[in-house]
Amino acid sequence: MHLKTRPSAVRVALALLILGATIVGCSQSSSPRQSRDQITLAEAQELGSYSPFASYGELGVSPIYEGLLRPQADSDAEIPNLVPALAAAAPESIGPGRWRLQLREGVTFSDGSAFDSTDVVATYAALKDPAVASEIATNVAPITAVTADGPHAVIIDVDTETDPSPYLLTGIVPSEKVEQVPAADWALNVAPVGTGPYRLDSLRPDQAVMVAREDYWGEKPQVTRIVYTHTPDDNTRAQRIIAGEVDGASLPPRLIRSVQSGDVSTVAVKSADWRGVSFPAGQPFTADPQARLAMNLGVDRTAVIRDVLDGHGRPAYTPIGDVYGDAYNPDATFTFDATAAAAILDRAGWRPGSDGIREKDGARAEFELLYNASDTLRRDLSVAFASAMKPLGIQVDPRGSSWDEIDTRFDTSAVLLGGGSTPYSIDSQVYDTLHTRVPDSSPYSNPGNFTAPGLDELLERARQSPSGVDKDALYRDVQASYIAQPSNVFLAFLDHTYAYRNLGWKQTAPILEPHSHGVTWGPWWRLNAWTR
Amino acid sequence: MSTLVLSRRAVTGWPWLLLAAIVVAAVAVPLGAGEQLADFSRALQPPSAAHPAGTDHFGYDLLIRTAQGLQISLLTAASCAVVATVLGALIGVGSALAGGWVDAAVMRVVDGVNALPHLVVGIVIAAMWRGEPLAIIASIGLTHWPAVARVVRAELLAVTDAGWVQTSRLAGASRWFIARHHLVPTVTGQAVVAMVMLLPHAVWHESTLSFLGVGLSPDRASLGTLLGQARGNILAGAWWTLVVPAGSLILTALSFAAAASETRRRSEPPSGRVW
Amino acid sequence: MVATERMDALTTEAPGWRRDRLRPAARLLGIRVLIAVPVTLAVSVGMFGVAALSPLDPLAAYLGDNYQFATQSQREAMRAAYDLDQPWWEAWWHWLTAALQGDLGWSSTQSLPVSTVLAERMPFTLGLSGTALLLGAVIALVLGCVAGMRGGTVDRLCNSFAVAFAAVPPFVMSLALVTVFAVGLRWFPTSGARPPGGDHTGAGLLTYSVLPLSALVVSQIPWLLLATRAAVLEARDSDAVRAVRARGVHGWPLLRAHIAPVSVLPTLALIGTRLPELIAGAAIVETVFGWPGVAAVLVDAAVALDFSLSAALTVGAALAVLLGSAFSDAAAVALDPRIGLRA
Repeated sequence: MHLKTRPSAVRVALALLILGATIVGCSQSSSPRQSRDQITLAEAQELGSYSPFASYGELGVSPIYEGLLRPQADSDAEIPNLVPALAAAAPESIGPGRWRLQLREGVTFSDGSAFDSTDVVATYAALKDPAVASEIATNVAPITAVTADGPHAVIIDVDTETDPSPYLLTGIVPSEKVEQVPAADWALNVAPVGTGPYRLDSLRPDQAVMVAREDYWGEKPQVTRIVYTHTPDDNTRAQRIIAGEVDGASLPPRLIRSVQSGDVSTVAVKSADWRGVSFPAGQPFTADPQARLAMNLGVDRTAVIRDVLDGHGRPAYTPIGDVYGDAYNPDATFTFDATAAAAILDRAGWRPGSDGIREKDGARAEFELLYNASDTLRRDLSVAFASAMKPLGIQVDPRGSSWDEIDTRFDTSAVLLGGGSTPYSIDSQVYDTLHTRVPDSSPYSNPGNFTAPGLDELLERARQSPSGVDKDALYRDVQASYIAQPSNVFLAFLDHTYAYRNLGWKQTAPILEPHSHGVTWGPWWRLNAWTR
Repeated sequence: MSTLVLSRRAVTGWPWLLLAAIVVAAVAVPLGAGEQLADFSRALQPPSAAHPAGTDHFGYDLLIRTAQGLQISLLTAASCAVVATVLGALIGVGSALAGGWVDAAVMRVVDGVNALPHLVVGIVIAAMWRGEPLAIIASIGLTHWPAVARVVRAELLAVTDAGWVQTSRLAGASRWFIARHHLVPTVTGQAVVAMVMLLPHAVWHESTLSFLGVGLSPDRASLGTLLGQARGNILAGAWWTLVVPAGSLILTALSFAAAASETRRRSEPPSGRVW
Repeated sequence: MVATERMDALTTEAPGWRRDRLRPAARLLGIRVLIAVPVTLAVSVGMFGVAALSPLDPLAAYLGDNYQFATQSQREAMRAAYDLDQPWWEAWWHWLTAALQGDLGWSSTQSLPVSTVLAERMPFTLGLSGTALLLGAVIALVLGCVAGMRGGTVDRLCNSFAVAFAAVPPFVMSLALVTVFAVGLRWFPTSGARPPGGDHTGAGLLTYSVLPLSALVVSQIPWLLLATRAAVLEARDSDAVRAVRARGVHGWPLLRAHIAPVSVLPTLALIGTRLPELIAGAAIVETVFGWPGVAAVLVDAAVALDFSLSAALTVGAALAVLLGSAFSDAAAVALDPRIGLRA
């Protein structure tokens, strides 16, 4: 029996070849034209958790939620003004530590229910409720009570003299949606209900879609559809924006240069988001104030910003940047001087040992620097800091770790910290970071518990005083006193870097950003105000 | 016939030479280069006279960095292989000597552990002790010992029944004598083979764990962390950051695999049955 | 029985064949499935126990960067609220009883019930991995047969190809594919399963799956290729087949009727034992290519200490591997009379 057959291998190979050619052919065809009123953004964080209690829209900036007040500015070079959003007017003082806020009328939530003072009261009660265990509870720490004054006004009690405005930014949720369970388990996370110009239309692990609301109290947005696509990898986001698959993305500073082109613009937005190194109290070298001063003098912040951040940042010497206007002290800086640093260390008794590392009375100038392993920027900053310290005879060993291990190691290791999550009030920007620790402090507030002479009293007085010339003067003294005896090495205020495609929209200029991630900020912080 | 034998002898031995060269490079290059300082101002430079393999994301010379990575990956992989082999050998020997229902029960456990998806368990364990080298070694060692246990046990059972061992016993040799002179050499022989075959797999595992971010600290050099960082750099056009570490990883794995099959071929143990 | 008669018996469907081969296979399957239950339970206990030993605090995973800004008393409150301070055996018991009733818990990283996460993502993983396994098996079998039958250059080429690619880890393969085809030539998209803003379409899925599929297929081929080739060679040199060749049967008829039943089918049956490697490959490929499957979430959940999701996935993976190898061994016993596995 002689069967006439072609070898099966060839047949299979042919079939595969045809299949392959078809697929390649399919992929060459252009992607479907997207609606002109749609914006597609690549989000690095996980989608979901759309609840103010999970820190979404905690500063009043989000498409879905609005707070009593919201930030407003024309550029990122200044602290924004806080203007009424759900409030009808600015808060009025009706007594020491007591303010009255009139609420806007005729506002509805995206589920149709009306907005009134019970929603405000419920939101703030839930923020402080230990059963909810909201991670942003510290943001509203100065507010002691919020009570209703009729359906369209609330009374706010604060424990300081200052304007409560910076603490009135959190998004308001309907009182019916408040639950007595931990914030991560709320239904609001996947079915948010807010008063903002958009509502959530669909949510899948890789894509979330928001559409403009018909019943929004303000002007209907011209951008009618926002699509968030979950792309955790930096380089994939870069590739997608080059290929035109997305219209905007946040990217690490060193990557935006490779995406810039005729179609893709990039922008670096100023922020109060600082990075710095905290030191352990249990290590003899770092416990020496002279050593900390020397380390501040021995790091070239300009070079770090130029090389690690690709120029996208400003040097930070204290937690207060020049955006704070008169409260900023321009003389409170460290000029890079490695020789002076070495001289200070020599004078303090830290002499180079046999292997080049300084020592004194048997203690070595050597410590570990911990950073959050999943953050590449912190890793790079740690490595850069270690390289800067080595020529001075200080051995710094960077190591990637996670927050809860770092938690237990503050006594023995330095940590690369970040801060500036609530920068719209200079008090919240500065107090916890520079003040000595109190029993209930977060472990990350001034972990070494170092201070300078008189610094604590200055901080107290500055926090208590109302805004004005005196407050500014006090904060300038705070900076001067810190510079004389620093507790940390602040490295830089980051510029958040974004890339976007030019689609013919007239965008709202970005404002000063807090310690944040992702595409809720950047050029898209106020999408509902974009016009053609 | 003689030409076949000659050519076979000529080609055998090259995997070991290559392996030796790799190990020497991994030890000598970092030693010779001394301590390296990161310098972000000369990051991601293409290969040139000063830096034959270019520079990486941190500004380190990529050739030296890859050699350091190779060293750490090899060390970690060797530790994993040793742990897995020792554990597997002990359990295998114990099970074979115990016999009976203990043996059957242990074999069930071996099958069970063997069935687990190694990488999944490895990821979960390594993630829980984020970046701790001991955890990585434990996670790989604890999932790979079953293969060794099985082989060692089978070999031990075969040899115990062998003719010459029985003769020894009949001649009045003590248990210790038999163990020392007959069982231990065979067992160690098989264990060594198993260990050599485990090495490329251990290198693979450690680099995968580091690549996924649950292995060694990202500022340290290991083939996995280098490749994880390369994932970012290739989009900026820095192809050398992928080619150099990936090339050394593949070369190492190939040499190990070739050496391992060589060892297995050479040390084909006596079947245990002379008559 | 003489070898050729045995093979004829395999290829013709004699009624006695079914009873003879299927009963031991079914028995083996039954025993293995029974064993799978306590082993899976042991795995889940082990997971909770190991987690208890670990120094990491799940609260850090819940809060992420905000862990820094919470005060001590807030953390205590959160710990109590999330039930994080119960002993590990209690946590395991609660998890087990809830899981048996269908409630797999809440995923903190996805903000969805675990069962929803699994339901949404499983089709993607099964689609990609299943297709990869099938395609890989077909290619490997074809190439293995050709290599075994032809010998010579084809054989050497296939052999070196298999050995070389066996040394390449899946993540290196994925990176290389991205560099060459997505970034360099721009033929295929870099990640995801659909164009952003669009819906999942058939054509879209096809385009987006080419690169991840290729990476997975290439990682599966080497072992199968070598195993098939070895089996084909062994069969070809066996006495029975030599006799058939002496009778004048060559090429395709020889392969189909005489060699394949004793080499290809048993090797095919052992595919089930490749599940651990397939799962590992899928985890890596889905992570690098952003494919919205279940394996990608495994890595994220483990790293973020999302315990409910991580536990469900690990236990699920273990169960899948145990059942897969059970089916595989049963199929091998059913197909190949030479294999005398009892359990």
